[in-house]
Amino acid sequence: MSRGSTNSVWVIAEGIGGRIPGVCLELIGKARTLGDTLGGEVGVLLLGYGIQEQVDELFHAGADVVYLGDSPVYEKYQPEIFTETIVPLSKEVQPQIILLGSTFMGREQAPLIAARLGTGLTAHCIDLIINEEGILEQKIPAYGGMMTIVCPEKRPQMATVTQGVFPMPDLDMSRSGKIIPVEPPEGLRTRVETLKVVRKKPEGVPLESAPVVIAGGAGAGCAEGWQEIEDLAKTLNAAVGSTRPAVDEGWTELETMIGQSGKMVHPEFYIAVGISGDMQHMVGISGAKAMVAVNNDPQAPVFEQVDYGIVADCREFIPILLRKLREKGDL
Amino acid sequence: MIDFTFTEEQELFQKAAREFAETELAPHVPAMEENDEYWEPVIDALCEAEMMAITIPEEYGGLGLGYVERLIALEEIARISSATAMMMQVGGLGIAPILVFGNEEQKQKYLPGLASGEHFATVAVTEPSGGSNPKDCSTTYVKEDGKYILNGRKCFITNAHIADVQVVFAADADDPSTHSTFIVESGWEGFKATHIEHKVGWRGCNTGEIELKDCEVPAENLLGPEGKGMRVAMTVISDVGRGGMVGCALGIQQACLDASIEFAKERELYGKPISYLQAIQFKLAEMKIDLEAGRLLGYRAASIQDAGGNAGNEFAVAKYYTTEAAQKAAKMAVDIHGGYGVMQEVDITRHLRDSFVLGPSAGTSDIMKVIIARWVLS
Amino acid sequence: MVSIVVCVKAVPDPEKADEIRIDPVTKALPRQDVPLVINPLDRNALEAALQFKEGGKVHITVVSMGPPPAGKVVKECLALGADEGILLSDPAFAGADAYATAFTLAKAIQKLDKTDCILCGRASSDGATEWVGPELATFLGIPVVTMVREFVATGDERWKVKADLADGYRLVEVEMPAVFTVTKDLNTPRTLRYSGIIKARKKGITTWGLDELDVSESSVGLKGSPTVMSDLTYVERKSTCQFIEGTLEEKADFLIQKMMEVGVL
Repeated sequence: MSRGSTNSVWVIAEGIGGRIPGVCLELIGKARTLGDTLGGEVGVLLLGYGIQEQVDELFHAGADVVYLGDSPVYEKYQPEIFTETIVPLSKEVQPQIILLGSTFMGREQAPLIAARLGTGLTAHCIDLIINEEGILEQKIPAYGGMMTIVCPEKRPQMATVTQGVFPMPDLDMSRSGKIIPVEPPEGLRTRVETLKVVRKKPEGVPLESAPVVIAGGAGAGCAEGWQEIEDLAKTLNAAVGSTRPAVDEGWTELETMIGQSGKMVHPEFYIAVGISGDMQHMVGISGAKAMVAVNNDPQAPVFEQVDYGIVADCREFIPILLRKLREKGDL
Repeated sequence: MIDFTFTEEQELFQKAAREFAETELAPHVPAMEENDEYWEPVIDALCEAEMMAITIPEEYGGLGLGYVERLIALEEIARISSATAMMMQVGGLGIAPILVFGNEEQKQKYLPGLASGEHFATVAVTEPSGGSNPKDCSTTYVKEDGKYILNGRKCFITNAHIADVQVVFAADADDPSTHSTFIVESGWEGFKATHIEHKVGWRGCNTGEIELKDCEVPAENLLGPEGKGMRVAMTVISDVGRGGMVGCALGIQQACLDASIEFAKERELYGKPISYLQAIQFKLAEMKIDLEAGRLLGYRAASIQDAGGNAGNEFAVAKYYTTEAAQKAAKMAVDIHGGYGVMQEVDITRHLRDSFVLGPSAGTSDIMKVIIARWVLS
Repeated sequence: MVSIVVCVKAVPDPEKADEIRIDPVTKALPRQDVPLVINPLDRNALEAALQFKEGGKVHITVVSMGPPPAGKVVKECLALGADEGILLSDPAFAGADAYATAFTLAKAIQKLDKTDCILCGRASSDGATEWVGPELATFLGIPVVTMVREFVATGDERWKVKADLADGYRLVEVEMPAVFTVTKDLNTPRTLRYSGIIKARKKGITTWGLDELDVSESSVGLKGSPTVMSDLTYVERKSTCQFIEGTLEEKADFLIQKMMEVGVL
């Protein structure tokens, strides 16, 4: 098609710890759409250990070919080994587009790969479209609007996407494809080594799967105000989400942040407390049956993006709501 | 002609003072409002942030900067807590006479500790008989066996209970028209900080009475020539004291303007933010005019002082203007806030109460006019 | 003597920058005079370098790419305790994306005598791609560890750090020199002090442009950026929000009712 590369669309999938994150499947679904438009095949580069059985799901999601690196070498995330596997393969196959999930590994690998390949990379896209010139338009929210980024000359065009931006693809169980084995690089002297991985069990309801999400922002005012929001979530068995100001204030951890550079959530019921409604946050919520905002400023942009608005000081309103819920629970 | 902008370095000083005030001072403000005697952590923070070292020369462990830099710091600190700015400014007022009139031994003894924050200073002039007429001073000294014995009572003394280095103004017991100043250490026998005075505003700012009962002061602690006490006291109060008040006032003015702008943009009436209403806009404009004017008056006087000149009169104008303006700004801010303006939880009421204490500090507005008239007529 | 380079970006003050929005009438970005500050996460990076300096003989060089006003931000870094500053400023550097920025920074760092460690914030408050650190490392041919939350062992040829994961951390050993991008949790940055500002009088800031870096115009700035912004559109917000009236009690009742209707209560 253009500039010495093929029309293929790649997704770099992780198989670390033996499981493929949901975002990889979502990206394969998107890659399928992009590949169909370009007339190119969808390739998935999967590196991990003991992941042989999961390859079929990649085909079901839309992959045409899986470059499979299944080796103890790929069991832990070793940055240079991953980069030195992906870069030579990319140079050989010359995909048109490479997509990665905005996972912790994706966010480190994507720029390393892009720099090695001398190409452009866009972060945290919320939409990807092939335009009339056949170029990938990479959309990110900015300044209350939508910015489009393109990589006109260099190839491949690369982008990272957070989990939940694109839907899980419908799995076509009849689909299958080609598996091309990938060998780890020979004789590589590595300078970075992951010695061990320590994971802590997340507390409370996981954000990504919670039916009810209560998100708090700067309007919580203080740690006590934040605690009231957490109490409300506990009473409703809801997950707690946040915006950047709440994280910066130290009331909550980065893991609860919802938005373009945080988590994407699809609850059935979403309540925003003390949140102004910045686009960077609001793009993180989709598919809710009902969205409610509680804010003491009737002009807050959040009210333009929810179904129901309650103009109130959250420090006054939340305790009343809590009391009524507890009374209800006692009945 | 004149460049009215800060140098790049002064901009950094402003940034540092603002950062200090916003991150290290602001958390203490609610506690100060709650408890009028909560000043210790605030003084510690001030000293740790090198704020007391600004005007002390480098050879005595200070920062060797001038009164312009001091005003920059006071303004930023007063914006967050005018009460703290007052304690800082009076601390500087206690340092000033030692700087200007102290002999080398006195400077070596006291300045390094005052710069590091190990010691804190104040000036004690005012008495129940009336601060507006310091000549009428009932605190007396007698010279006996090569030392001075002081007796008397001072009131409305900022840092009365904090300062361990106090510059005390007293009259000659035998000739009350003659005065001298002394460096008195609070730990000495016969010195006591007694009654804490609770003010309508500036909560958390230590104001109180001190009592001297046969307090023995060694001869080497006479500050300045004997009999020249009025000159010592008035020299420093005229520029350092009044200049400090300008900082305390400008901070309140800025805080009132900032809060009013924020409120006016958010508060809606008749379908629009009230910032669209001319009555509100005029108040904001007046606050801005007073801030522009007050700043120019203050920084100009401080520049004269830093250049070695006598800026007492210019500071009288600046002190009068900014302290009156701060009270006006606070009232306008309350009016803009409507009902919210008189709710205790809202900062505006604190600015209102604080602004009142500016008036009688370092000379009332009427006394300022007396001084300015004298200047005009001379 | 250990030489640490801290890459710093001058960004519009995040607290004021949040208010920059596309004008719904002109559909363009209004001109804003938002003051420049040190990118918050770069302050964490600088703080880490300053803490290393307190522990031993360390020379800190701050490198920043930006227009001339960014020089004030570099000066602030010197006032905080860095030893020297280098401002990369040239009209040709404007419009750079992360790739071109990292390339330019790399060229500058290569000009320094020796660099034992490079620190940068994980991301900038304006842009927030997180790409500059890793791309810089690639251009310099050295390893990188991103999202560092703790320096566990330093001072030898191999350092050990803890790097963030979504639900925990990885303990990583890396051969020096290396690039580290740091998170907010690494430390609490110190506040600016007057004495630091005075000490900074003796410290120098050097400005390097295209000539000093000996690079071609086509490899930096907009010309050297593989990505470019092609469009910025205003997103029309259609408001279908139903405001709930009444007392706080009534509003609470409504909310509970809604939750029951949707089936989550």
